Amino acid sequence: MNEVVLGMSGTTWALLGAAFAAIGGGIGSAIGITTISNTAAGIVTEDADKFGRVLPLAAMPGTQGIYGLITAILVLSFFGFLGDTVPTISADTGVKIFLGCLPVAAVCLFSAIYQGMTAVGAAGMVARRSEDAGKALIFPALVETYAVFALIATIIILSRIAALYPVG
Amino acid sequence: MGLRQVVTEPIRYGFAVGRVRVLEGRMLSGATYERLLDAPSFAEQIRVLSDTPYGTFLEGASTVEDVERAFDQALGELYRFLESANLPGPVIAFFRTPYDYANLKARLKADLYGQSVDGLLVDLGAVPAEVFAGPIGSLPKRFRAIAERAGDAGAADEESVSLEVDRALHAESLAHAAASRSRFLEGLAALQVDLANVRTLLRARVRERKNADARAMLIEGGTLSADALMRLYRLPVPELASALASGPGPLRGVDPDELADLARFDVIADDVQVRYLKRARRAAAGPEPVIGYVMARKAEVMMVRTLLIGMLSGVPEAVLRRRLRERYE
Repeated sequence: MNEVVLGMSGTTWALLGAAFAAIGGGIGSAIGITTISNTAAGIVTEDADKFGRVLPLAAMPGTQGIYGLITAILVLSFFGFLGDTVPTISADTGVKIFLGCLPVAAVCLFSAIYQGMTAVGAAGMVARRSEDAGKALIFPALVETYAVFALIATIIILSRIAALYPVG
Repeated sequence: MGLRQVVTEPIRYGFAVGRVRVLEGRMLSGATYERLLDAPSFAEQIRVLSDTPYGTFLEGASTVEDVERAFDQALGELYRFLESANLPGPVIAFFRTPYDYANLKARLKADLYGQSVDGLLVDLGAVPAEVFAGPIGSLPKRFRAIAERAGDAGAADEESVSLEVDRALHAESLAHAAASRSRFLEGLAALQVDLANVRTLLRARVRERKNADARAMLIEGGTLSADALMRLYRLPVPELASALASGPGPLRGVDPDELADLARFDVIADDVQVRYLKRARRAAAGPEPVIGYVMARKAEVMMVRTLLIGMLSGVPEAVLRRRLRERYE
């Protein structure tokens, strides 16, 4: 069993994975929300009645940040970081945990950015026809699907690692 | 589009694009144009426009001068929106510059005929209109140079003034478009050169100008090269129009009979330009929707102005209907 991989212990790899997930999802959400919020603000400037219809679009890229946070909490919870002592995780297991976090870290980063872009197009639909607000939500929601798939993949991977490689 | 552009363009232009998406919905519908055409009087036309963005500007208007002033104010508001849209400087300059050249042309033509330029200048350019009413020597350098060139080419000739000014305008528009790094704007500038060249070519052919004279009038920078256009110049006007309408250029698909009719050319050229601008509506983000909207509103102002002034001048409805352009929808 390796003590370190690339100079980092298993604990460090696990925490790095949790941090990547939180950072990737957070950055993606921040960019995605900024993107759609600018357009939404422009729409509301000209037509204040559309606020309620564009708000769900503006909020939608925020979910990836939540998925990143969930992943980080799962790592901390599954692998004993919430106790009083630092857990002992082998380097091999730590790398596995790190890899398990990557679906959320990468997919949430990019999907939130592109979801923000899609929401801009959808907001254009709402600006023209308020009654299309329901339909407009569907297109950015399709992008969300892949962030959800990534979260599911990460949860399954982390839960299997926790079951197969229990930490001391 | 790279990821960096995917991220930065919607953020940079997002606010303006959001406003444009709402403002596009307030552009005049086909039904409004029909009501303006069917209106029995100017007062009825003003009533039809009262609930549109032009209503406030047209309040109390009763003469051609009032209408001109109202639409200049509407354009002024449009350009204030453009300035606030966080677009790059060259894009704003692209829209402002034509007014500077229009003022220069008005000044040079007024000088040609020994008339006053008062009332002919429009204060929508990058250079204050009153500058063009002052001495030629006090004009900005580039305009002064054009005035001198136009004079060298034969000051008594209105056509040479127009050619020199238009050539300089298109060169500057192409430069602004290139500096903007917007392919859409570059395409628009090139299209404007193509349309100007085709107009020149048809007009020269009708007037049976010599090949060398026609060639000298063409402007570089369009998608149709001057050499390619000159190869068509030997053809009679109807065949020349057919070749342009079936060729690879921007006029592909237009009715050749209409194209051969110089009186219809401006309408056809504007329709071709609107068709190009409609691409901007398909862009979710970036400067294109803003550029498309501003150009479309300019065209709308021109159409409504035509209908109102036409009514005041007693132009028949059928004639006005033929002057209507394709709408940006």
